[in-house]
Amino acid sequence: MDKQRKIMTAILALLALIAVIAVIDISLKIDKKSKSDLKLTLRDFGQGIEIVRVEGPIEMSDNTRAFGMSQGAEGVIKQLNDIEKNSNIKGVVVRINSPGGTVAATQEIYEKIWKLRKKNIITVASMGDVAASGGYYVASACNYIMANYGTITGSIGVISYSPNLKRLFDKLGIEMNVIKSGKYKDILSSHRDITPMEKTLIQEMIDQSYHKFVKDIALGRNMNQDDILPIADGRVMNGETALNNKLIDQLGTFEDAIIKAKELASLDPDAPVYEHNVSPFKEILESMKNIFFGRFSVNKELFYNLDRIEYR
Amino acid sequence: MTIESFKSLRWTDYFLYTILDPRELYRMVKQKDPDPFVLSFTIPVAYSIFAILTMSLTGKESNFFYHKMSYGWILIFIYTLSKIIIYSSLIDITAQFFGYRGNIKEIITLYNFSLFPELFFLPVVYTFVTIDFAPSFFYILFSIVFLIWQVMILTQSFSEMHSIDFNKSLFILILPVVLIGLIFFMIAVLLIILAVGFIA
Repeated sequence: MDKQRKIMTAILALLALIAVIAVIDISLKIDKKSKSDLKLTLRDFGQGIEIVRVEGPIEMSDNTRAFGMSQGAEGVIKQLNDIEKNSNIKGVVVRINSPGGTVAATQEIYEKIWKLRKKNIITVASMGDVAASGGYYVASACNYIMANYGTITGSIGVISYSPNLKRLFDKLGIEMNVIKSGKYKDILSSHRDITPMEKTLIQEMIDQSYHKFVKDIALGRNMNQDDILPIADGRVMNGETALNNKLIDQLGTFEDAIIKAKELASLDPDAPVYEHNVSPFKEILESMKNIFFGRFSVNKELFYNLDRIEYR
Repeated sequence: MTIESFKSLRWTDYFLYTILDPRELYRMVKQKDPDPFVLSFTIPVAYSIFAILTMSLTGKESNFFYHKMSYGWILIFIYTLSKIIIYSSLIDITAQFFGYRGNIKEIITLYNFSLFPELFFLPVVYTFVTIDFAPSFFYILFSIVFLIWQVMILTQSFSEMHSIDFNKSLFILILPVVLIGLIFFMIAVLLIILAVGFIA
C-alpha cells in the first residue's frame, strides 16, 4: 500500500512538472514569435506615417451604430483629427476603396484632408478597386494620388434618384394621403410623377454640387476647371486613362503609396507606419450590426424616398 | 488535514482509488480519514490550470496566454465550481425524487474527484502536439474519452453511495443533463420563433 501511495505521489508530481514544462514551453514560443515579429516591423515609435481607410459608400454615419462607435465619414474625420493633434505623424496615406457617397459626407472628408495638407502634413491617396465619384473627390484633396492599372476611377458627377412607383400603386389601388406644409415638401415622392418645377429645383441643386465638385478637384489637383470639364461627364476610367487625363499622379500599389508618402514627408524608408487597428470585439459588434440591421437598410431603399444627392 | 496525515500519504489513496476503484473511493469518502472535502477542491483548481494549458498548446501562441494564465484560470475555476455545485445539486434533487437520501457534500466531493482523470488530458495532448501528429483530432478524441471516464467514476461511486445498480445510477446522473438540455432547446426554439416573428 505504501508503495502505491508513493507511486501516486510520483504521478501527481509528474503532472505538476508537465504543467510547469508546458508553461515554460508556451512562454518560450511566444517570446520567439515576438522577436521574429520585431524583425519584420522594425521600430514602431517615433515620426512616421498613418494609414486612413475610406471604404464602401461614404456616408456621414448611419443611426445603427453599434455601441456608439464612429463609422463612415465621422469615423474617418475623427481619425484625421487625431492625426492633426499627433506631432509624430508627418504623412497620411488615404487608402480609398469607395464608389462615392453623399455630398455632405464626402465634402467633410475633403475639407479635413485639405486642412491637413495646409498644415504641411503630407497626404497621399492610394486607390484600391474603386475610387470613383465621391471616392475620387476625397482623393483629389491629397498632395499625391496613386492608383493601380485596374482601379476604376473618375465618374465625376452628381446624381439623385428616386423610384417612380405611381403605376404600381395605381395597379394595386393604393393611394397616398399626403398632408404637407409646402408644395415641395414631398419632392421626389415615389407615389407620383415629378413635376417640371420640381425637376428644375433638383437639377439646380445637382448643378451646384457638380460645380463645387469640379472646383474642388481643380483646386486639389492644381488644374484649370476647363481642363477637367471635358472628362467630368460621369465617365469611368481605369488607372492608366486617369493618369493620361492627369487625374492621378502615378500608377502604383498601396506599398508604393506608403514609400511615396515617406519620401514626400522626408522620412527614413524604415519610418514606422501606423494603422488604427479595429479590435476583434469591435469587428464582431460590426458584423452583428450588419446581420441585424442589414435587412432594414434594404427595406428603406425600396420603400422610402432617397432624399439625398450623391457623388456616385 | 494535519501535517501528520499529509506526511503519511494517506490522502493519495483518494486519487489512487479514483482511477482504480471508484466504489472504494466512495467508501473512503464516507470514512473521512482524512477529510476529503477540502482536498477534493485541489482537483478543480488544477483542472482549470490544465484546461488553459491544453487549449493554449493546441491554439495559436500569443501574449494573451499570460492573461489566460493570470485572470483566465480564475474565471474557468469559478465556472467549473459553479458547474460542480449546480450539477451536484441537481443530482441530489433527482436522487431524492427517486426516494434516495440526499447528501450534497458527498456528491460534490465525488464530482471533484471524478475530474481527476481530466488532468491526464494535458500530457496526452502535449505528446501529440510535440510529435505534431493530428493534435486537433486527438484533442477531440481524448476529450470524449476522458469525459466518458469521468462519467464512469461518478456513476460507480454514486451507485455505491445509494447501493443501486450501475444502470439506475447512470439514469439518475444523466436525467438532469437531459432535462436541462431539453429546457435550453425549448428556449432556443422559442427565441428563434420570436426572432423570426420580430424580423418578419
